[in-house]
Amino acid sequence: MSIMKNNLSGARTASKQSGPRRGPRKAGFGPVAAMIPGVLFLAAIAIYPTIYSLSVSLTRWRLTTGEDPRFVGLENYANLLSDSSFWNSVRVTLVFVIFAVSIEFLIAFLMALLFFRGFPGDKLMRTLILLPMLCAPIVVGLLARFSLEPTFGIVNQLMRSFGLPTTEFLGSTELALPTLIAIDVWQWTPFLFLIFLAAMQGLPEEIIEASKLDGASWPKIIWHQFLPLLQYPLMVGILLRLIDSFRVYEIIFMTTRGGPIDATSTMSWQIYDVGFRSFTISYAAAYSWLLLLLVLFTVNLLIRRMVPKF
Amino acid sequence: MTIPDVRTRRRRPIIHRASVGLRAIIAAVMTLVFVAPVLWMITTAFKTGNQAFSTEVQWFFTPTLDNFIGILSGFGFVKAFSNSLQVSLISSLLAILLASGIAYPLARFDIRGKSAILGTILSLRIVPPIVLIIPLFLVMRTIGLTGTLTAIIIMHVFMNLPLAVWLLRGFFEDVPKEIEEAAQIDGLSGLGIFFRIVLPLAIPGVAATALLCFVFSWNEFLFASILSNAGSQTLTVALTQYVTPVGTQWTFIMAAGTLVAIPVWIAALSAQKYLVRGLSFGAVK
Repeated sequence: MSIMKNNLSGARTASKQSGPRRGPRKAGFGPVAAMIPGVLFLAAIAIYPTIYSLSVSLTRWRLTTGEDPRFVGLENYANLLSDSSFWNSVRVTLVFVIFAVSIEFLIAFLMALLFFRGFPGDKLMRTLILLPMLCAPIVVGLLARFSLEPTFGIVNQLMRSFGLPTTEFLGSTELALPTLIAIDVWQWTPFLFLIFLAAMQGLPEEIIEASKLDGASWPKIIWHQFLPLLQYPLMVGILLRLIDSFRVYEIIFMTTRGGPIDATSTMSWQIYDVGFRSFTISYAAAYSWLLLLLVLFTVNLLIRRMVPKF
Repeated sequence: MTIPDVRTRRRRPIIHRASVGLRAIIAAVMTLVFVAPVLWMITTAFKTGNQAFSTEVQWFFTPTLDNFIGILSGFGFVKAFSNSLQVSLISSLLAILLASGIAYPLARFDIRGKSAILGTILSLRIVPPIVLIIPLFLVMRTIGLTGTLTAIIIMHVFMNLPLAVWLLRGFFEDVPKEIEEAAQIDGLSGLGIFFRIVLPLAIPGVAATALLCFVFSWNEFLFASILSNAGSQTLTVALTQYVTPVGTQWTFIMAAGTLVAIPVWIAALSAQKYLVRGLSFGAVK
């Protein structure tokens, strides 16, 4: 078990590695002084704007009219909660996040199992699989738009060669959101795959050998050994994907721009739209606060669910 | 069927070999799914318009460099490239510098509220950028920084700091403590120990962290698009301008996309050894 921990949860246990014999050095003024610039910088960018944003969200302020912000209390929040386009964006965001992350998790886990016991060429394939993840999301958006183009796009050409009809993936209200999810899955499954595979390869061989000697089949080994032992890296992977999928913006900017109608209008997109296209900055600020609360709530829920002691 | 029953596999090595072959084939198909679109982007970049817009994909054709020449000679691509390079390099260096200041004391000294500090820094990663951009846009506008590279650099340093702190802390902890203690006995000051002992020993990790910061900064779009103007556009922002409602020049765009992606591929592949650790915030080594 101790080898396991060192392999998997380095961030948490590395301090234990550096020797139980001596405690860490007592910090004088020097080390604390070294931390000040970075901490002040973080505080300046994170804390002040957060408070500022909260106060802006309590006003009525449009950048286009040139009027000064006027205090209106919770009016923006009340309007939001009775705004059907707000609830639509919550729904779209949650559908996107839940489906994208679970599909990515499933495919990545299966792919990691596939690559776990090597085969000729696995190193090269592993490196090639990383390419989508390393493209800028804006490039992926462009590529998606080009690939899904009805007449000369590669996807429709492939579909036609299988006798399937030409499909407007991004232009249909039913297909647009699943298509965006598929694009996200294409780009980010490699990320989870990379983490899961590394974690699996860090598992001590003895555990697998011992289970085999006990006559356990692979599905049993995966279910009873892999899943519990890999809990921490699996959770970190899902958590990072969850946090990032809430901010999906670039591929929407490049492909559907929230449409058709508002089928792909996620909260991130709506906030941009309200704040920087119609310049109702106070409404957008209130909107951002509700998004932040939703993200915190979801992340918290997951952490509690997955690791009771976290 | 990809995972053969272990008992049959032991008894019959032929089945074992077959299963390796089967797994290799499935893996190759999966790899193709992830690589084909990228490959298509790169090949399109070398095509003429007629070759690109045929209704059959042409995998074999006479390549042309016209798209790249066109890109590099117009549309301010070179300017955007230089902007991106400046933003990514300066912001990564600053992030490493500020993060080292936080990470090294946290790795080595007994500091009160250590885990609270680390937890708070990590939780900054949870906040979606769109939430921060509205107040920060207003602040930057007030102090006259919108439309400058400085504004984008500040945001990218902020974006990369939590990751850099977490990674660097791990890399600094990996440096054997005994070496530092020996240096201390030899009379080196705290700063001396850091710059002359710890940093050189941790340099592969520090370099990998810097490369990751570079990649994230290079690929970033939201902050760069809202805080920049025509003169301070980064590459990702400039890319969006090739898409016009009428007559999108796809071969041009794919060439531009390839040029944007190449530095990242090079950076990430040179840090490949640390990629897993870097992308998982040090959780998986």
